[in-house]
Amino acid sequence: MLFAPELVLLLGSLLLFFLSLGESDGKGARNVTILLGLAGFVLSIITLFQEGSLFMGAYRIDLFSQLFKVLIAVGMTCVVIFDGEMKGISARMRPEYYLFLTLSCMGLMLLVSSVELITMFVALELSSYSLYLMVPMRDDTGGIRFQMEAAIKYILFGIIATGAMLYGMSYLFGLTGSTHLEVVVPKIIELSASSPAAILGIALFMFGFFYKLAVFPFHFWVPDVYEGAANSTTAFIASVPKLGAVAILIRLVVMVGPTGGDALVNLLIVLALCSMFYGNLSALVQTDVKRMLGFSGISHAGYVLLGLLTLKDSGFATSIYYIAGYLVMNLACFLVICKVSKNGENVSIDDLSGLHQRAPLLALTLGVGMFALAGIPPFVGFMGKFMLLTGAYKAGHLTLVILAALNTAIAIYYYLSVVRIAFCNDPDERPSVSVDPMTKLVSVFLMVVIIAMGVAPAKVLELATTAVRSIL
Amino acid sequence: MNPTLLSPEGLSGLVFLGLVAVTICGAVIATAAKRLIRCLTGLVACFMGVAGLYYYLGSPFVAMMQLLIYVGAIAIVIAFGIMLAEPDEAKLVKKKSGLSGVLSLIAGSAVAWGLAVAALRADWMSPAVKLNDGSVRDVGMSLLTTYSMVFELVSVVLLVAILGSLALARTGRDKE
Repeated sequence: MLFAPELVLLLGSLLLFFLSLGESDGKGARNVTILLGLAGFVLSIITLFQEGSLFMGAYRIDLFSQLFKVLIAVGMTCVVIFDGEMKGISARMRPEYYLFLTLSCMGLMLLVSSVELITMFVALELSSYSLYLMVPMRDDTGGIRFQMEAAIKYILFGIIATGAMLYGMSYLFGLTGSTHLEVVVPKIIELSASSPAAILGIALFMFGFFYKLAVFPFHFWVPDVYEGAANSTTAFIASVPKLGAVAILIRLVVMVGPTGGDALVNLLIVLALCSMFYGNLSALVQTDVKRMLGFSGISHAGYVLLGLLTLKDSGFATSIYYIAGYLVMNLACFLVICKVSKNGENVSIDDLSGLHQRAPLLALTLGVGMFALAGIPPFVGFMGKFMLLTGAYKAGHLTLVILAALNTAIAIYYYLSVVRIAFCNDPDERPSVSVDPMTKLVSVFLMVVIIAMGVAPAKVLELATTAVRSIL
Repeated sequence: MNPTLLSPEGLSGLVFLGLVAVTICGAVIATAAKRLIRCLTGLVACFMGVAGLYYYLGSPFVAMMQLLIYVGAIAIVIAFGIMLAEPDEAKLVKKKSGLSGVLSLIAGSAVAWGLAVAALRADWMSPAVKLNDGSVRDVGMSLLTTYSMVFELVSVVLLVAILGSLALARTGRDKE
């Protein structure tokens, strides 16, 4: 029972594999994937408060891991549902596309539960390989093959980050003689006050996950991959893997202990500031919505680091809250992009003109998503940023808080100018956008979650705090 | 006192230095050569050196795998790739301007220096804590006990890699 969510996805991917063998237009595969996502969601909820250890201590089920599994399943289901017509995915590869999507989610679910270094690495690679493969599956309509360029960039940067991560792991193994976190963590906490190698090992290990989270300077793949991958693939890459990255970063930051590790905190401060400034300033000049959201994702990665660098369980809980909020806000924006794009082509900001007449529900979803990303009350983005900033302030990082607040102000400009174009410009000749009932359901669900998490954050935060305490 | 050159320690140190030299020379050739096929031979030399180091450290199984997988399979695949792609001999790799070379040298040596200093100052686990003798039997035992999860997961990763390459290769060359 403890292993049920992963097991369902594994068996489901077997089913998808058989579907991919025959001739198929992908509809069946898509329905199977939606069912798998829902089953994963339900099973993660059922196992939410269970605990256990599997596979000789390499795999732990606790509130922390199950919470992330719930979020991963939500993200997976939403992405598959709102990509109803599978626009932009090469027609011959649709069943395989869903197979890789399912396996990528399974890899992430395994990743958040792994408490052994090599298991972590292999689970991460399982999820990454599947993502690498989803990028070039875009329909090659223009014949310019820039999805291939995006895929190659994604793989090459990924390999470099993985290499750094493995090097860091080798330091941790060399210092402790074990790959199991339950042995490694106490020893490294002891060593981290005195040994630079321990800090270096943790930092290098983190690089692999900074890459997933798109923290500066591991962001180089972001704009090209967001632009080159199909809209729904980008929606997936932009939201779901970041959950896994945050989960593991929390497990790693714990290693420096509550007091040691000034060097690591300083590193995180620098990376957070660089990510915020770089992401926000670059986003100002973008005309493609996906590229803009890519740069905004870099700056949001900087905000998530604010919670980690407090080294307190309340800070880690805020990071979980923020990344959960980021998942729903981002999905809301990408839902609109997927629907507005007629044949799966990229959407420029001007293409959103007059969206309130062409598709009122989508315009509302876009408005809520963008307002939330900008950090305006009463949406989840505001509460998240507010708590991250107060947490960092309490930990004594005043300069950092001022600079981060400044960044929030910069970000408001480009998010709201998208909303302005959608609501104030005339649609001109642009056709109206049809939305299927399932997608309507998802967009209402996302809006409700964005507002509910923003209005009543206490429950979620409490759950996240309990989850974080369960791994300390 | 230092061991003399012909004592067992001295000879084994000589072997070690020889293997390191092969690895480094191979890596330099792989990055500096102008023709792709020469880069590949440098890479093969580098892999062989690393395999030798594994053997030197008492893991014959890992050394064999290194030879079998990296030299025997990966290098051959790259060779096939180079032959099929017919690289344009006229367009040899051009040297970048001097400044970028200097800058990358500075950045690279800074990273190497930092890693080396941290490594030299660290208290590594004492070598006496030997986990096993690196034989096939021990590797097999730990794959089916401590690392059983990884063992199962790797098969899924391989499945993804195979399916992915098939799916992409099937349509990758469509020209219509």
